[in-house]
Amino acid sequence: MRVGVFICHCGNNIAGTIDVARVAEETRKIPGVVYATTYMYTCSEPGQEEIKEAIKREGLDRVVVAACSPRMHEMTFRRTVEKAGLNRYFFEMANIREHISWVGEDKEFNTRKAIDVVRMAVAKVMQNRPLFSSSFKINKRVLVMGGGVAGMQAALDCADGGLEVVIVEKSQSIGGMMARLDKTFPTIDCSICILGPKMVDVAQHEKIKLYAYSEIDEIKGYVGNYQVKIRKKATYVDWSKCTGCGACMEKCPSKNAYDYFNFGVAPTKAINIPFPQAIPKKAKIDPNYCRQFTKGKCGVCAKICPTKAIDYEMKDEIITEEVGAIIVATGYSLIDMDMLPEYGGGRYPDVISGIQYERLLNASGPTAGHIERPSDHEEPKTIVFVSCAGSRDKSIGIPYCSNFCCMYIAKQAILTKDHISDSQSYVFYMDIRSPGKGYDEFTRRAQEEYGVHYIRGRVSRIYPKGKKLVVRGADTLLGTQVEIEADLVVLATAVISNKDAAYMAEKLHISYDTFGFYVESHPKLRPVETNTSGVFLAGACQGPKDIPASVGQGSAAASKILALFSGETLESDPAVARVNINACVGCLKCVKTCPFGAIKEKELRDGRVVADVIETVCAGCGVCTSTCPCGAIQLQHFTDNQILAEVNALCLI
Amino acid sequence: MTVEKLKETVLDTLKDVELVMGYQMGFDALHATPLFIRKKEDAERLIWNPLCVHNLTTYLPSLKKSRVGVVVKGCDSRTIIQFLQEGLITRENVTIIGIPCQGIISVRKVLKEIEYEPVEEVSFNSDSMTIKTLKGSKTLKIEDVWPDKCITCKYPTPLIYDYLIGEPVSFDRGVEVSQVIKELEGKSLNERLAYWQKEFDRCIRCYACRNACPLCVCQDSCIAETREPHWISQRLTLNEKFMFHMIHALHLAGRCVECGECARVCPMDIPVNILKKKINLDMKELFGYVPGVNAEDKPPMYTFNVDEVNIKEHGI
Ligand SMILES: Cc1cc2nc3c(=O)[nH]c(=O)nc-3n(C[C@H](O)[C@H](O)[C@H](O)COP(=O)(O)OP(=O)(O)OC[C@H]3O[C@@H](n4cnc5c(N)ncnc54)[C@H](O)[C@@H]3O)c2cc1C
Ligand code: SF4
Ligand code: SF4
Ligand code: SF4
Ligand code: SF4
Repeated sequence: MRVGVFICHCGNNIAGTIDVARVAEETRKIPGVVYATTYMYTCSEPGQEEIKEAIKREGLDRVVVAACSPRMHEMTFRRTVEKAGLNRYFFEMANIREHISWVGEDKEFNTRKAIDVVRMAVAKVMQNRPLFSSSFKINKRVLVMGGGVAGMQAALDCADGGLEVVIVEKSQSIGGMMARLDKTFPTIDCSICILGPKMVDVAQHEKIKLYAYSEIDEIKGYVGNYQVKIRKKATYVDWSKCTGCGACMEKCPSKNAYDYFNFGVAPTKAINIPFPQAIPKKAKIDPNYCRQFTKGKCGVCAKICPTKAIDYEMKDEIITEEVGAIIVATGYSLIDMDMLPEYGGGRYPDVISGIQYERLLNASGPTAGHIERPSDHEEPKTIVFVSCAGSRDKSIGIPYCSNFCCMYIAKQAILTKDHISDSQSYVFYMDIRSPGKGYDEFTRRAQEEYGVHYIRGRVSRIYPKGKKLVVRGADTLLGTQVEIEADLVVLATAVISNKDAAYMAEKLHISYDTFGFYVESHPKLRPVETNTSGVFLAGACQGPKDIPASVGQGSAAASKILALFSGETLESDPAVARVNINACVGCLKCVKTCPFGAIKEKELRDGRVVADVIETVCAGCGVCTSTCPCGAIQLQHFTDNQILAEVNALCLI
Repeated sequence: MTVEKLKETVLDTLKDVELVMGYQMGFDALHATPLFIRKKEDAERLIWNPLCVHNLTTYLPSLKKSRVGVVVKGCDSRTIIQFLQEGLITRENVTIIGIPCQGIISVRKVLKEIEYEPVEEVSFNSDSMTIKTLKGSKTLKIEDVWPDKCITCKYPTPLIYDYLIGEPVSFDRGVEVSQVIKELEGKSLNERLAYWQKEFDRCIRCYACRNACPLCVCQDSCIAETREPHWISQRLTLNEKFMFHMIHALHLAGRCVECGECARVCPMDIPVNILKKKINLDMKELFGYVPGVNAEDKPPMYTFNVDEVNIKEHGI
C-alpha cells in the first residue's frame, strides 16, 4: 500500500500553531506512507493539482489530506483523487484545523496532537475499501406539509416548475397564521388581500392536489421514493357535495363551540366554515360541541343542507401518496395565556394576546373590525402592549426572541390609532428589534406620527381596578416606576413550536432543537436543507420568522427540489450499512431498531433467514451496527475494523 | 406425585411434538442431566427434584423450526418470555410444561459442605436433603444451599405454560439485590475494578458461560472469536478476558433473565452473572423494564424511542 499525506498550512490558520513540517517528517516514518508534504492551500487549484501529480508520480493508492473539517472540503478532495484514477473512498481527511490549530494555543502540544490525528487517518485509509454508488430512479412529486404562506409559496413554485405537488394541511383551510392577520407590516397592506390570490392559485393549479383537514400518519421510503400515508380526518360533511353556502352554520343550535381560527375571541357554531376566504370553503362539524354527537339527537344541519352533504357516520380515511421529496412548512404556535399569570393571562378577559387583537382589528373577524373589550364590548381608549410576553424569558424555558412581535406591535398600535382616533397606545418593550428593510422606519413612524408611547422596561404586574387594568412596570430610561390605567392589554405572546413538531420530526427523521424547531443542515450555507436528504424546511417551523422570510424560504426550498429533480436518477451514498450474511444469525434485532426501516429480512436459498439492508433507504446512522451482537452488520467506510485501526493507531503506539 | 403427573403430561405432549426436554439422573447421585425424550420409553428416565438445575430452554432457538416440548421451572419460563419478545422462537411450536419450584440446589455449595467427597446417594425430604458419602451422611437444609438466583427469585411459578404440574407456589424472601452486588456497590471504583480484575484473571476463555447462556445468540459469530470485526485477540491476557466479559455483559443488557447458568457452568467459579444482574437493576431504573416477565413487552435495547420512561431527553 502506498499512502500519500498532504498537510495544509491553510495560510496561518494551521501553520500558525502547528509545526506542519514536523508533522510531515513524522508522518513519513509511518509504515505504508511513501510520501508526505506540506502545502500552503491544499484546496486551491494548484494544491489539488499537486495531489493528482503526486498520485501519478509516486504511484500512490491511498491519500490523506490533513487540513480543515471534512464538512468543508471532503467532497473536493474525493473528486480530486477520483480524477487521478483512485476510488473516491481511498481518501481520508484529518481535521487538524477545527480540532487542533483553532482550539489549542500550545504549538508543541498541537503538533503532537496533529501527528496523532494524521496517524489515525493513515491507519483508517489503509483499511478503506473501494465503494461505488448506484443510481436509482426518482419520483418527481413533492409533498408539502402545511399550507401556511411558506408552504403555499413552495407548492406554487414547485408546481410552476412542472412538478406535481401534494399539500397536506392539518386544519380546515390553507392560509396558516397569515390568513388570520389584519394588515401586514411594514406596508400595512391587507393580509388576506395579498394572501387570497395565492390561496386561489393553489386551489386552481392543475399540478397541486390539496388535502385539507388531513395529517401525515406514516412516512416510508427515502429521497426520490417516499410512500406517505395521509389521514383525511372525518369532517362529518361530504366535501364533494358541500357548496360552502353556510346554511348549516346559520341554523346550527350549538352556538358555543370554541373558535380555533379566531383563537377563541368569540364562540362559533358546532358546524362551521372558518372564514369567508377559506380554501377549501367547506363546512366541518366539531363533534365536541355538535348536539348530534354530545346528546345523540339534533340533525338540524342534515335537514337544512340543500345538497345533503352532512354525514354523521363519516370515518377517517387513509390515502397513500407517492412522492420524491418533502417540504416541511408546518409553521408555529403561540404560548397559552395561562403561562403568563403575572400579567393576568387567562384570568382577566381584557388581557388578550396579539393574535386575538389581530382578529379584533380584522374586518372579517368576530367584531367586524370594531375594537372592543371582551368583557363589556366597550371601545377601549387606553391600550397597553406588552412585548416579550414569555419570549426571552429563561424562567419559562423560552430564551429566544420571537422575531416578529416588535414589528406587529408597532403595526397594531398604528392600526389602533386608525380605528380609534382618540385612543392612546403604550408599548412596554425590552429592545425594539426591527432590522428588516423599512422596519426601523416603521417602528419610528408609530412613535413619531402616531404618538405611540414607548416605555423601555418590563411589566411587573397587571391587576384590575374597577373597569380598568392597572399595568405596573419600570421605565428603565427614566429610572422610575410607571403605572398605566388601561382599558385593554395586549400581550405579544411568545412563539413556540407546534405541539406535534417533535413527533413529526421523528416521522421525518429530521433533527429538532430543544424548543422543537426543526434544524437546518447548516445555519448559514444550507438554511432550507435538513440532514435527511429529500426533506426541506420552509417558514416558521424552523424558527420564528416573519412573512417575507417565510416566503423566501418557501421559494428556496422549491428551488432546491427543482435542482434535485433535474435529472431522472439520483446517486446513492455507498457509505451505508451492509450485512455479512455469513456472520448474521438472523436475530433481526437490527430490523427492529433501524429508525429508518431500512432493513428487511431475507431468506437465503438454504432457508436461513438473514438481515438485508435497502441501500437507498439506509441513512448511515449506524444504530444497527451497535445493535447487532455479532458485528454482522457494518457501516461501510466506518466499519468496526476501520475504527479499531484508528483507535489502535492512537493507543497502541 | 409430581413425577408421575409429569410423565403422564410428557407422554401426552409427545403425541404432537418431535421431542420433549426434561431431566434425568446424571453421572452420580448429585447431578442431574438433560433428557431428550423422543420415544415413549425415554420418559421412564424422567426425574424431578432440586437437582434439576439446568435451564433447558437454552436449546429452543436452535430448534425454532421443530415442534418441541420443554419442562420449565419458574425462572426458566422467563427465558421463554424473553425469546418471545425477541422473536427467537415461535410460540405455537413450543409446548411448555411448567413446574412450580421450591428452589433448587447449588451443586457447588453442596460439594463444599461435603468436602468434595464422592457421593453415594442423595435423598430429599420436604425442605432438606441427605447426602451419603463414603465418610458418612450429611443433611442440609435446601434453603442453605440455594444458588444465588433462588434467593432473589420472584417468580417460582412459571409465568408462561401450557400445563402446570402441581399447585402454584410463591416465595419471596424480599431480597431485591443480591449480597455480592450490595457489597460491590459499597466499594470505590478502583476497588471494584480490582475485584473484577481478580475474578476475570482466572477466566480460561472456555466460553462455557457464553455457550450455556440461553440469550447468547451469535453462535459462531461471537465477538470473542471473529476476525471481522477483530475486537479481541486470542491472547490470554487480562485485557482480552476483561473485554470479552464486558461485551458479554453489555450484550445481555436488558435481556438477561437471571437464570444464573453462566455462573453455574463456569469451571473457574467466576460470578459472571453478577455483572448482568447489576445492569438489569439499572435497566429497571432507567427504562422501567424487567426482562422475561411479560411477552408483550418490548426490550428497550431493540426499540428506538425518542424519550424513555426515565430518560426525558426531549421532554415530549
Ligand atoms: C399577532 C401576529 C401578527 C403578525 N403580523 C405579521 C405581519 O404583519 N407581517 C409579517 O411579516 N408577519 C407577521 N406575523 C408572522 C406570520 O404569522 C408568520 O411569519 C407566518 O405565518 C409564517 O408562515 P408559515 O407558513 O411558516 O407558518 P404558519 O402560518 O403557521 O402556517 C403553517 C401551516 O401548517 C399547518 N400545519 C401545522 N402542523 C401541521 C402538520 N403536522 N401537518 C400539516 N399541516 C400542518 C398549519 O395548520 C398552518 O396552516 C404575525 C404573527 C402574529 C402572531
Ligand atoms: S442484528 Fe446482526 S445478526 Fe441480528 S439479524 Fe441483524 S445483522 Fe443479523
Ligand atoms: S445504518 Fe443501520 S440503522 Fe442506520 S439507517 Fe442504515 S440500516 Fe438503518
Ligand atoms: S465459563 Fe468461566 S472460564 Fe469459561 S469463559 Fe466464562 S467466565 Fe471464563
Ligand atoms: S447472562 Fe447468565 S444469567 Fe443471564 S441469561 Fe445468560 S446465562 Fe442466564
